Amino acid sequence: MWTTKSPAHLRLAAALVVAVGIVIIVPGWLYLREHAPGNMGNGFLVGGLGALTAFGLTLWRTARHPDRTTTAERAWTSQGDERDDAVLTSTLAVVGITALPLTGAAAIALALGRDTAMVMALLLLAELLVGVVAFAVQVRRT
Amino acid sequence: MRNDVRDLRLQEGLSQAALATSLQVSRQTVNAIETGRYDPSLPLAISIARHFRTTVEEIFHVDD
Repeated sequence: MWTTKSPAHLRLAAALVVAVGIVIIVPGWLYLREHAPGNMGNGFLVGGLGALTAFGLTLWRTARHPDRTTTAERAWTSQGDERDDAVLTSTLAVVGITALPLTGAAAIALALGRDTAMVMALLLLAELLVGVVAFAVQVRRT
Repeated sequence: MRNDVRDLRLQEGLSQAALATSLQVSRQTVNAIETGRYDPSLPLAISIARHFRTTVEEIFHVDD
């Protein structure tokens, strides 16, 4: 259930997640900056820190005001109840199923000679969009 | 599945938030159960029945 963990435990978990994330992100950034093409290192750093910050803030908010959090906040921080888990499971199932045709379409686009970076970016955006829409639909239906 | 959770809650003068706190679920979950959009698990259904001092069969009714 979503209220069984104390705020102190959740704050500790948030701090640990952020610390572990930084330990992974900073060496990754340094490695990619030296060895990867283009601005991949900076992109990794910005994306990683952005995701880490969002996760940490959400976990912190869930600890402070569990009654004011949304289904999305509870589900993504594993603080949800059974309905939140059901919504997240359904969403991930939809993302998993649509990933197959989307990846197939991306492979065909690459085979036809499209720009690799553009295809991969569009594939990522399409899967994120599917996830957001599927989550919104599941929240309304469930 | 239909249920009488809303009626029972109103009879006790409880808000959705108060019932949710008692059941250790979110207010949105109570709302989803009351509106029939979500069927609770068996443990939660039993918790609801115990909260209202009745049985699961008295609260939840299968649509025929």
